[in-house]
Amino acid sequence: MGSLEGILTGFQVAFSVEGVLFVLIGVFVGTFIGMLPGLGPISAIAVMIPVTFGMDPTPALVMMAGVYYGAVFGGSTSSILLNAPGISGTVATSFDGYPMAQQGKAGKALAIAAISSFIGGTISVLLLMMLAPMLSSVAISFGPPAYFALMFLGLTAITSLSEGSTSKALISAVVGFMVVTIGIDAQTGTQRFTFGNANLLEGIDFLVIALGLFALAEVCTLIIKRKDLSLDNTHKLGSLKITKQEAKEMSGPVTRQSFMGFVLGVLPGAGATIASFIGYITEKRIAKKPDEFGKGSVRGLAAPEAANNAATSGAFVPLLSLGIPGSGTTAVLLGAFLVLGVQPGPLLMTDRPEIFWGIIASMYIGNVFLLILNLPLIPYISKILKIPRPLLISLVIMFSIIGVYAISFSTFDLYMLLLFGVVGFLMRLFSFPAPPFILAFILGGMMEQSFRQSLTISNGNYMIFVKEPISLTLLLIGLLSFAFPIIGHLRKRKG
Amino acid sequence: MLKTLNQKVSLVLLAIAAGYLLLSYQLPSYPYAIVDADVLPKGLGYLLVILVIALFFTKDSETEEQKARRNIPKKDILALLAVFAFVFFYIFLLEILGFVLTTALFIFFCSWFLGYKKHLTNIIVAVLFPLFMYFTFTEFLQISLPQGILPF
Amino acid sequence: MKKYLLMLLFVFLTVLAVACSNDETSNGDANGDWEPEQPIEIVAPAGAGGGWDTTARMAAKVFSEEGIIEEDIGVVNKPGGGGAVGWAYIAGHEGSAHNLFVASPPLILVPLNGQSEYGYDDFTPLANMIADYGAFAVREDAPWNDLNELFEDMKEDPESISVVGTSSPGSMDHIQFVQIAKAAGVDVTKIKYVTDPEGVGLTQLLNGSVEVFSTGVSETIEQVKAGTIKVLGVTAEERLEGEVLEEFPTAIEQGIDATFVNWRGFFGPPNMDEAAVKYYEAKFKELSDSEEFADIRSQYGWNEMYMDSEEYKSFLDEQNEEVQSLLDELGLGE
Repeated sequence: MGSLEGILTGFQVAFSVEGVLFVLIGVFVGTFIGMLPGLGPISAIAVMIPVTFGMDPTPALVMMAGVYYGAVFGGSTSSILLNAPGISGTVATSFDGYPMAQQGKAGKALAIAAISSFIGGTISVLLLMMLAPMLSSVAISFGPPAYFALMFLGLTAITSLSEGSTSKALISAVVGFMVVTIGIDAQTGTQRFTFGNANLLEGIDFLVIALGLFALAEVCTLIIKRKDLSLDNTHKLGSLKITKQEAKEMSGPVTRQSFMGFVLGVLPGAGATIASFIGYITEKRIAKKPDEFGKGSVRGLAAPEAANNAATSGAFVPLLSLGIPGSGTTAVLLGAFLVLGVQPGPLLMTDRPEIFWGIIASMYIGNVFLLILNLPLIPYISKILKIPRPLLISLVIMFSIIGVYAISFSTFDLYMLLLFGVVGFLMRLFSFPAPPFILAFILGGMMEQSFRQSLTISNGNYMIFVKEPISLTLLLIGLLSFAFPIIGHLRKRKG
Repeated sequence: MLKTLNQKVSLVLLAIAAGYLLLSYQLPSYPYAIVDADVLPKGLGYLLVILVIALFFTKDSETEEQKARRNIPKKDILALLAVFAFVFFYIFLLEILGFVLTTALFIFFCSWFLGYKKHLTNIIVAVLFPLFMYFTFTEFLQISLPQGILPF
Repeated sequence: MKKYLLMLLFVFLTVLAVACSNDETSNGDANGDWEPEQPIEIVAPAGAGGGWDTTARMAAKVFSEEGIIEEDIGVVNKPGGGGAVGWAYIAGHEGSAHNLFVASPPLILVPLNGQSEYGYDDFTPLANMIADYGAFAVREDAPWNDLNELFEDMKEDPESISVVGTSSPGSMDHIQFVQIAKAAGVDVTKIKYVTDPEGVGLTQLLNGSVEVFSTGVSETIEQVKAGTIKVLGVTAEERLEGEVLEEFPTAIEQGIDATFVNWRGFFGPPNMDEAAVKYYEAKFKELSDSEEFADIRSQYGWNEMYMDSEEYKSFLDEQNEEVQSLLDELGLGE
């Protein structure tokens, strides 16, 4: 069966009454769960698996896919309104989304996020449809040296995430990197910095860091400013309308990051988090006014939202065409396929075209539904900001606590959350930026592991990093992007 | 000697770096590794030392706004500490009393403490919100939260 | 200052509530016919979606839906430390007859690697339910056609062959490979093992970064069907059943006398009441024999492997000894 015929079959499936109904259920449940504290796509999918028992596999999987990208879509809400990113893919969203909401433009921020997500989702589904059969070779093209180079490239962006002092940004990153070394080292099984505590063996969970450094640190600031009436415009929802000027500003970053996010999503192990960070950093680098980033920039909000949704579609490439789950989330999604007796892999496209193309085609509809669902909800959701300050503070704390508890089920992690809340607040007081910390935390672990995997494979020969074109290219770009700001900085000083 | 703020902060960070390095040197070695588990931590430790030394000799480059962040009235510091104490008790009692009861108590008292005067609204929110969350998680999502001493 | 009184009040009230709450653990009757008296909790010592979590949830589902156990059954996730956090939690419920957990080889491996205070012999084995086996895969165009050819090359030039698995050295993917390789006479200290914690070991195999992928059999089926990889051997005792699966040769039939079972079953806390053990043993047997659970097994590609408490205990002792000697030879573990 040719691709074109397959695509047609897919649309038939997706636009059947059953197809439309289950996409709708999927994205609705996904968005709802995605908005809940601490619950991201993984929990959303795991929760829905038992529901699909005994269902016909095609509508069931169309629904599960909807749950997945619906949860990513809905995840940005708490980042924007409360500075409390619930999943790693939406941390970068809070960098500009939260400041924008604080300026009384919460409605606009949510609308920009929803529209960027929609465009990112739609462009990437288009790419997925056209390129999925070909992209499977791209998905496996990255060996450990290339992953190392990719993480290195991401880390070089630290300097551009600083607000002022470069040395403070670097210190922040090094400490973030140190925190990620806590736990069992995967390459040797050695326990590092665990103090014999079983709770530390798997390392500190990302959510503990993100909610501590962002949400709880923000709570501290809110407590201090709780009587400051000048901040009252944060209660305002503001207009949802996006001006022509803003639409123009968005168009570049959204288009670029839809493509880039998709490609990064295709790589197993990279995924939405790395895509959103790299998207944010790239846009900051090439923006004419990089100073606006971090202060409620439209571009800074649109870029990571387009990127993380595009990466989500990208993740379907290795899953559907190779049967390789590229992340914890797609691994659970793979489980959902297996339960229904469908084995994703190289044969899926020819053996079960209705499933392969049906899922992809349904994602068009899913994205439209998500936009229709989310936009009218914005005024209601942003009512959260109208809650009186003292009550809001209590609720954000509770929100963070459930968020962490729902993934770790241990009070130990909650104490760690409190600790990182204090660390985050102190970092604010002494002007150490938090984004480099979290970036190093996210990229550092994989960077170290792929570095050491490479050297084990090459028996200690460092040439492995420059032998392949992919890793060599990425390393060179990384070096340049690291050197340029520093050279520029030095020049400015002289001048 | 310690005139600038950067210098004081540097010393604290230096202590962290030293502690981290000390622990790195105690990591057991693994017989088959080409790059062992201690290499990166040692590298990070020294890198932090270098950066901290650089910071020590850097002049403060903070903006006025950044400096103003540290001007916290004493009353607010006490309030912060009190909220941290609330959170600490919240965590401590979460698995003992259960999610619903602890959360309700926390929301009510923490909001009251921070100056929320509408007690009736406060009570309603403090009771309904945890109940809603609890049932959403345990019944709909099948994710168990601590039940504690309440019968459901 | 009035406000600080509020905090005192908060503390006082909560402490009062603690004081009023009675511990309601009750032990079973002394006579043989024990029945659960309160909801049963099954702990999955990992997060949602993994093998332990799935097994626990499926068991709980069939227990309730088929009315095998009347009392409510809740699955609780206690992730952390590769299981160690969940085991410590269960160990804290000594003697309770209402707290179970699901386990597999990590319950032996993790403590032997010095990563958990509690091991299999601290708990009460109830019943084993299913078994899974390991598979060693290479690329379709690789020069080796069976395990012996691979192991011959590993003996001659160990530096040229890397093995990838998802878990760290000393844990399942590593040990299953080492166990078979050792039986074939390979110097196990020279095996180059790479961990891919992101779970993309298959990618690394397909793009030629590594030569061998040590994994579970079910992960290989689809790729074998598509003709991208070939499975040189599986760790089962006899050939497995099922399409494609039946074509995988065992190590034993290639003259390598070694197996590795990825068993999965249920345990209770330390010193569980004998009557309760008997009760659960019977219930798990009923579960294992039920049609509904058979369906679930086939959906997930699990093999039936029921063992009662006693059989289970001696099986575990045997496994523990084997792994211990392997780790000693590798110079790993405590």
